[in-house]
Amino acid sequence: MADVRIRPVTELDIEAICRIDERITGKYRPDAWEDRVIYYIRRDPDSSQVAEIGGRVVGFMLGEVRGGEFGLEEPTGWVEFFGVLPDARDKGVGRSLIEALLARFKSQGAHVARTMVRSEDKDIDAFIRRNGFAPAPVTALEKRL
Amino acid sequence: MLAGTLKAMTDEIRMLPKAYHDAVEHWQRHNFPEYPQLTERWQQYFPKDAEFCLCARLEKDMPTEIQVGDRKGQPKALAPKELDKEAAEQLLMIVRAQASTEFGSIQQHHGTFERANDPQDQTWVLRVMAEELRHGYQMIHLLTSADWSKWTDTKPQDMVEEILSMQTGSHVLAAFNLEYDSFGDSIAFAAFIDRVGKYQLTMQKVNTYAPMAASMPPMLREEAFHLAAGVIPMRRWMEAAARDRNATMDVPTIQKMCAKWYGRGLEMFGDERGGATNVKLGLKDLTNREAQDLYIAECGKMLDDINTRFVRARLAHLSRDDADKAYARIKDGKTVEGIRRDDLLRLPDRRFFRRRGEPAFQMIGHDGEQFTDVEEYIAHVLAHLPEAYRASIDVKHWIEMQRKVSRGEIELKKAINSMPRLARVGGACPCSKSVRWVMDVPEGTSGGGERLNP
Repeated sequence: MADVRIRPVTELDIEAICRIDERITGKYRPDAWEDRVIYYIRRDPDSSQVAEIGGRVVGFMLGEVRGGEFGLEEPTGWVEFFGVLPDARDKGVGRSLIEALLARFKSQGAHVARTMVRSEDKDIDAFIRRNGFAPAPVTALEKRL
Repeated sequence: MLAGTLKAMTDEIRMLPKAYHDAVEHWQRHNFPEYPQLTERWQQYFPKDAEFCLCARLEKDMPTEIQVGDRKGQPKALAPKELDKEAAEQLLMIVRAQASTEFGSIQQHHGTFERANDPQDQTWVLRVMAEELRHGYQMIHLLTSADWSKWTDTKPQDMVEEILSMQTGSHVLAAFNLEYDSFGDSIAFAAFIDRVGKYQLTMQKVNTYAPMAASMPPMLREEAFHLAAGVIPMRRWMEAAARDRNATMDVPTIQKMCAKWYGRGLEMFGDERGGATNVKLGLKDLTNREAQDLYIAECGKMLDDINTRFVRARLAHLSRDDADKAYARIKDGKTVEGIRRDDLLRLPDRRFFRRRGEPAFQMIGHDGEQFTDVEEYIAHVLAHLPEAYRASIDVKHWIEMQRKVSRGEIELKKAINSMPRLARVGGACPCSKSVRWVMDVPEGTSGGGERLNP
């Protein structure tokens, strides 16, 4: 496993997160990531994490503890956005990120972590399951408008 | 509980005794009249966030042993009487200076608050101001929740009175004695000066006085937002400047703001040769120069990110890799598709326009060039500063001191300690019926505020 350093996200990681997102999606979306990063920073800057290898940010995971949503009253750690540079995968980056996030959720009083994965994202689904997540007794429903 | 909100679970919340709480609220009415807007705007801009609380917050489960210095490994002090004399006296100065910065920044933001162009930026600054008020409250809590009489003859109410009486011009640190020229200064200040605040708070997390150390993490969590509230608008200004050469905030204007604040930020760390005593006493974990070096590197990274936003917008046809290469070449002095190094933001030399510390009055130019003629140097510095700031009393005072130092008419130490004479240099509450901020503090009520979540 590479020497991965995990630390909380800061405002100076926005461009690196844009870079990772662009590598994955092909789109440069600085406004969207600025809005997302400041949201997590202002709510709990210690929850969301980035991963560095050799001083370069190669992955990120954004999430936070919330309660009272969808009738789920208990404090829940939500894993909401994450990405790892393609050339940094299979080095334990994702696992290190999720472990750090879950540890923070636990320290914030959460006893459960939740996320949602699109059914076509098989790799993400496999990654999440490898890290101890299992199907929840909650159904995601939608209606096209 | 509102959907999506959650109370902070790691903080212990404390309120000041009524007289001090009232004094802070009284100060707010005079110095921060925008505060009542916070509740309404909070619902609009931060609807899922826990409500703002004007209170002191103490982190639970902090280390109980001293982490640095001569007494490393020994138990931290839980009360002032357990501190060494030197540590106690030094700590009182640090708390006073910290409190001064918190209240001082609100006074600065207030001056240009109504001139904001963007309601979101303005609301972010409003939240920053409220959280700075809470940080000031936190420092007053440290001074009034424990008995300091072993180390100072000054009564707690007099310490608080002095802090609340400071105005722009009489604060402890120079950065808090500069008036803003425009709302843009609120943004540059958050990016550069609040960043120094982050370093100070981070260093003080190890503080040998346990309540001081426990005060830092909640403040740092709020400070993280303040930095973002500075950097994100700057990123967006640069993007707008790249797309529209007539944008309200063009690159030279932003660059001049950087030149105005960066040097004052560097000076907030204290003289580059100092700080070892604070480490020895267990009050901080870095010397001044060590912390300043990290700050400089971080400011450089900040400008790289902001410049990248500019390059991506101006050269939108380039791929990410090509844009990164283009920026590297521009930074190296090359012109790429019409973009020159001077078209982007750059950090001034750490010795540029310095009035305190090791390079004070050394006549080093913006990009490190050495000047020998004082008038040439003054003209050079002025050319790099915002136009409105050039006409300020602060700059006029610097010019006077720079000339005197260069001509040997004043000792360097005296010039360093010299402050400009401003019209408003502090005083008691401006209410006609009041002469003090802190009112009616009976004997024996200065300790132990109300604890809300023991």
